[in-house]
Amino acid sequence: MSNRTRVITATLLCLLCIPLNLSAITADEIIKTMDGMQTFDTSYSTGSITTTDRFGAKVSTFKAWTQGSSDSLIEFTSVAERGQKILRTKGSLYLFYPDAEELIRLQGAALRQSVLGSDLSYEDMTEEKNTLDDYTVRLDGSQIVNGHDCHVLTLTAKTRQVAYPIQKIWVDKETYLVWKAAYSTAQGRLLKEMEVLDTIVVDGRTLPKETKIEDKMKRDSSTVMALDTLEVNIPLDRKIFTLENLTW
Amino acid sequence: MTTKLPAVAFRNIFRNLRRSSLSAIAIAVSAMAIMALLALFECMEADMETNLTSYYTGEVRIRHESFEKYERYNPLHLSLDVDAVLPLAKSVEGVEAATSRINFPANLYLDGKNNGALGVGVDFATEAAFIDFPSLVSEGRLPQKGKNELLIGAILAHDLQLELGDKITVLTSTALRGSNAMTFEIVGIASFPVGGLSSKTLYIPLDRAQYMLRMEGHTQEILLQVADGYKEADVAQAVKELLEAELGLGTETKAWKDLNMMYSFLSIAKFIYYVMAGVFFVLGSTVIINTTMMVIYERMREIGTLAALGMQGKELTRLFLLEGSFISMAGSTVGTIAGLIIIAVLGKVGLNFTEAMSGVDMEISSILYPQVNWWIALFVWFYAILTATLSTLIPSRRASKIQIVEALRYV
Repeated sequence: MSNRTRVITATLLCLLCIPLNLSAITADEIIKTMDGMQTFDTSYSTGSITTTDRFGAKVSTFKAWTQGSSDSLIEFTSVAERGQKILRTKGSLYLFYPDAEELIRLQGAALRQSVLGSDLSYEDMTEEKNTLDDYTVRLDGSQIVNGHDCHVLTLTAKTRQVAYPIQKIWVDKETYLVWKAAYSTAQGRLLKEMEVLDTIVVDGRTLPKETKIEDKMKRDSSTVMALDTLEVNIPLDRKIFTLENLTW
Repeated sequence: MTTKLPAVAFRNIFRNLRRSSLSAIAIAVSAMAIMALLALFECMEADMETNLTSYYTGEVRIRHESFEKYERYNPLHLSLDVDAVLPLAKSVEGVEAATSRINFPANLYLDGKNNGALGVGVDFATEAAFIDFPSLVSEGRLPQKGKNELLIGAILAHDLQLELGDKITVLTSTALRGSNAMTFEIVGIASFPVGGLSSKTLYIPLDRAQYMLRMEGHTQEILLQVADGYKEADVAQAVKELLEAELGLGTETKAWKDLNMMYSFLSIAKFIYYVMAGVFFVLGSTVIINTTMMVIYERMREIGTLAALGMQGKELTRLFLLEGSFISMAGSTVGTIAGLIIIAVLGKVGLNFTEAMSGVDMEISSILYPQVNWWIALFVWFYAILTATLSTLIPSRRASKIQIVEALRYV
């Protein structure tokens, strides 16, 4: 083979490899895109939390507002907990009870307490969408979940401040929706499982409409969180996410 | 000679007064110790019974039939309708008083931290037959119905540096399995006889507890007091049957003795008390037997002399038996009287176990007031005399059979 032929062959091989390199998305990029798909400038939603345990099913309804990746406010509207609010601003979570004269600030382990006896913790309800700040990610391969081709990723916590030291998530390759997740301790003990049952398309993004969560520390217990309405990128008063507004 | 034996025995006591006194003192101290201990144990048992029936279970407790099964999940939704159950329960013959209570785990939110406590919703008016709240309030007053006011245990208030007039937010789980928080004003501080209550408990009006816990019109349990002459178990059965017949309501209605945990605890406590009393009894008896036997063995020479002078074996035995019984009678009487005086004084002053009981989660009061029990006094008096007198039998019988020559060798 002449030198010219070799150069042409090498060039062709390089050109063939370019599309391959371009299409090989990294684990970090998947997570960034996934977080991006779940984050809006602002959002307003209404929905319900249905908790089923040994005593039967219990439904709580709520309204929720979010702003960016770290601010969220949830107000419960069901009779049993009407007027109770959860506010999360960067790094802090506050509970407002209509009959309490002071706000209750949750921090540390208290954030992992159950919300209204459900399988959801306060942290689950209001988690910030900055996954890469807290976790290192490894791409384990692909799997089909409910007919959707998904990336399988393992997230390992960088700090001890997070609720779940290990997360295994199944991210849709097309929509970047997390169809399934398994949350474990550092030793591999399963803590919670999450599965998306139904989706909604808003603003061109596929989002979970109905999500089932099972706290594996509780026996015979599961929670379905469902969204009835979801509006995104709507004008919101910034004061919504302040302590003053919470007690108003 | 036989007819003179009591006189001789009595005179012998004073022939060596120091020896006789020592023997009597040993018997007196033992009798006194046994008596004081028995009175203390009896007091502890009665105290625990009072505390259990007053502060915890009543004499009969009514709960939803499934409550106990799920108790660890705090199933407040498994409740009783107060208006339906309470009047029916009160109508049963033998029921003297009834009250509703709701016990709930509470977190007291202070300076960003949650502090664990036990909340109790009570009807202060009907509680009078169970807990004498006014006598327990060391500062302030009782909370009023319809107001967000609470009565807090003195140790809990001290630990959390809370005072009268302070406001505190109580966070808890509701009967609807949600959470709720309310702010209460501390209007009273109570010193409960049971340390565990003072260090953990806060009491709020029943209607406020029902509101906070989303239990409007309902209660976790109804407690009953049974009139004298009625058996708690019989009354419990009658109440249970009536509720089933009239309301079709299945309940766990039990006499306090049948509430497994409490009664077994009391049984264990009783057993421990009796073992301890038994040890002291044996120790006390050993002192009496030892002292009496030594007194006889010390006098072998005298026995030999008496035998040489013609006293028969049986007469010797009887003489020492009489001597022993006189000394033990004196010792036992003095010991019993001393024990009675000590108990009477402690009954007024009280035995303070506050330091020793701190951190101990038992339903026994920190300060105990033992009471004089005449039957115990009579028993101990008689027991000490009998033990001491019988313990003279062994050496005096041996002495009566001893050869004169051998007895005189004890010189």
